[in-house]
Amino acid sequence: MAASVGAAHNPIRIDAGLCVKCDLCDWICPGDLIHHEEGNRQKLPVIAYPDECWYCGLCQSVCPVNAITVVFPEAMIHCRTDVTTLLGKVVD
Amino acid sequence: MARDWKTIDTDFLVVGGGVAGCMAAIPVLEAGHSVVMCEKGKVLDHCGSVGCGVDHYLTVMESGPDWDTPEFLMRHVPALTDGIVDLEVASRVIHEMPKILRKIESFGVDFTDRETGDYSRKRSFGLPGAYHINFDGTEFKKLIGQQVRRKKATVLMRTMAVQLLVEDNRVYGALAFNFRTGEWFAIRAKAVLLATGDVNRLSRNASGLAFDSWHCPYNTGDAQAMGYRAGAILANMEFTESTLTPKGFSAQGLNALVCEGAYFINKSGERFMFRYDEKGENARRAVIADAIVNEYLLGNGPIYADLRHLPPEILDHMAATLQIDRYTLPAFYEQKGLDFRTEPVEVSISELTIRRSGVYFRGSGLAVDTNAESSIEGLFAAGDCATVSGGIAGAAVLGHIAGESATVPIRDNGARALPAVNMDAAAATRAEAESHLSPNDGVPWKAFENRTREIVTDYVGVRRTEKGLKLGLEALQENAARESRLAADDLHGLMRVHEARNIRLNAEIMATAALARDETRTGSAHWRLDHPETDEEHWRKFVLVERGVDGPTTATLDSGRPLADAFAKRHAAADNRGILNHGS
Repeated sequence: MAASVGAAHNPIRIDAGLCVKCDLCDWICPGDLIHHEEGNRQKLPVIAYPDECWYCGLCQSVCPVNAITVVFPEAMIHCRTDVTTLLGKVVD
Repeated sequence: MARDWKTIDTDFLVVGGGVAGCMAAIPVLEAGHSVVMCEKGKVLDHCGSVGCGVDHYLTVMESGPDWDTPEFLMRHVPALTDGIVDLEVASRVIHEMPKILRKIESFGVDFTDRETGDYSRKRSFGLPGAYHINFDGTEFKKLIGQQVRRKKATVLMRTMAVQLLVEDNRVYGALAFNFRTGEWFAIRAKAVLLATGDVNRLSRNASGLAFDSWHCPYNTGDAQAMGYRAGAILANMEFTESTLTPKGFSAQGLNALVCEGAYFINKSGERFMFRYDEKGENARRAVIADAIVNEYLLGNGPIYADLRHLPPEILDHMAATLQIDRYTLPAFYEQKGLDFRTEPVEVSISELTIRRSGVYFRGSGLAVDTNAESSIEGLFAAGDCATVSGGIAGAAVLGHIAGESATVPIRDNGARALPAVNMDAAAATRAEAESHLSPNDGVPWKAFENRTREIVTDYVGVRRTEKGLKLGLEALQENAARESRLAADDLHGLMRVHEARNIRLNAEIMATAALARDETRTGSAHWRLDHPETDEEHWRKFVLVERGVDGPTTATLDSGRPLADAFAKRHAAADNRGILNHGS
């Protein structure tokens, strides 16, 4: 599955054809990212704050119909950061 | 009471529904008292720190051999913690480990290996015995959380506590708000437990995504910040913790790799860990992280975790258990197109967290005594926000101690009326909070938080100097000046505004403590380039931090003494006031 780039990246892909519009993914998300109107069986859940995702996959693990796929962004999959830049500046 | 507030009176208020919070609530509920729990997520069913289940549990079991006794493990605690540890609190935690293991088993948690029916005990992270039970803990937290539900605690989900209510150094509740409904709560309680975990989103990581963190990014040092503002003493806040992670994904799972026999190799293919520790890859987490940092700085990166030498059955076992700690790790490897059976996995150092600096039994956070009580009377702390911490087991045991201890003030304060909440002050707190929903000239909380991370990464993180720390402190204080203009789009954002402020405050406390400790200790957990040696003569000491007139102030205490010595006088003074009040 292709991963998109940048701020627009949505990590939580919900298959609209499979989703049964239950409230479980909203209920389990530890970051309050997924919002679904309780009991509304017409509306899909909304990924309200995609850039605050922890990539924990709890939503995927709890989905009763396997409608959720967690997709990693380019910055994670092909990370090119020089690790030494995380180790601080030397100020003498 | 104001009409638009929801007021609740309870015996025990628990802030944070992770392992520590749940294990504290259980004995209080068992004693027949009421419990209200505030929880930002809905984590009753999973662990606060790692989100999922757990795959290992550190415990003494008293199964027979000498190493499996509390006394044996206690003898090694000073060396495990580089001499900075509250031995009295650690001793109580270690002695209660077997009892708490049995109690958790009574909830239905099966710690045994499904195939052999025995406990699979492994030696790792430099511990002097096979204290880790490796097990499938997918249901672990669910079964503990179930006890809290069954015993009828009131759980306020999606609710963030923002301020403690304290009078004469005695806690009597907290203010909180629900960030889905906007409802505000004034909760009065006879005792309060803070169990909100460690401090994350504190520095940059390899992916550059703030919420891609090893430990839960929604743990933002809320307990440490609230406790500090209310006058509590904190300790060990100078120490940072990081781990190694698959590069690009700050996922946990190091313990599994190490236990199963992974090698760490550098770009030359050298298995370098034995240059740093005779235990090689089985060294303490702090030593492993330190070695990786050093290898990168020597120009020996990239660093890899190499599993190719392992027999197929071990690799099969790893493949099958990869998702226990982090459900999405298999998907990450798959989307990356990486097969760890045939190619080494590139690793990075994770972002920093303030937690327990990669060592067991030395926590960073609210200073607690042997009852898990802080320097504020009736205020307890457990888990990764308290000064004795030891992973899931440490959280479970100290949490349970806190709960048992809290039943004392709950009973004793039964007859005493709790102070009335000052609703004018509460309204001011709320008005200030809600002002972030419509600020003039607003500063987005994400930009504010990014600035904190930049400062910590560059000046306060891994390589510290006096000059750098002072620059960092100045910059953190400049950033604080923007706090009144922080902007949120909605109630969810308002919660993040509070988190962003708590993260910055923790960073300032960390920088202040790091400046005070002019030595290096526990490798890169506190590495002062200008004081590269460990100074046993002058620094077998805790650095204590509390709120001063102009920000955090530090003091020191000989680490041979319990942290409670630092606040014994306060409690005595408060007790005297109590007696006087009774007499009048």
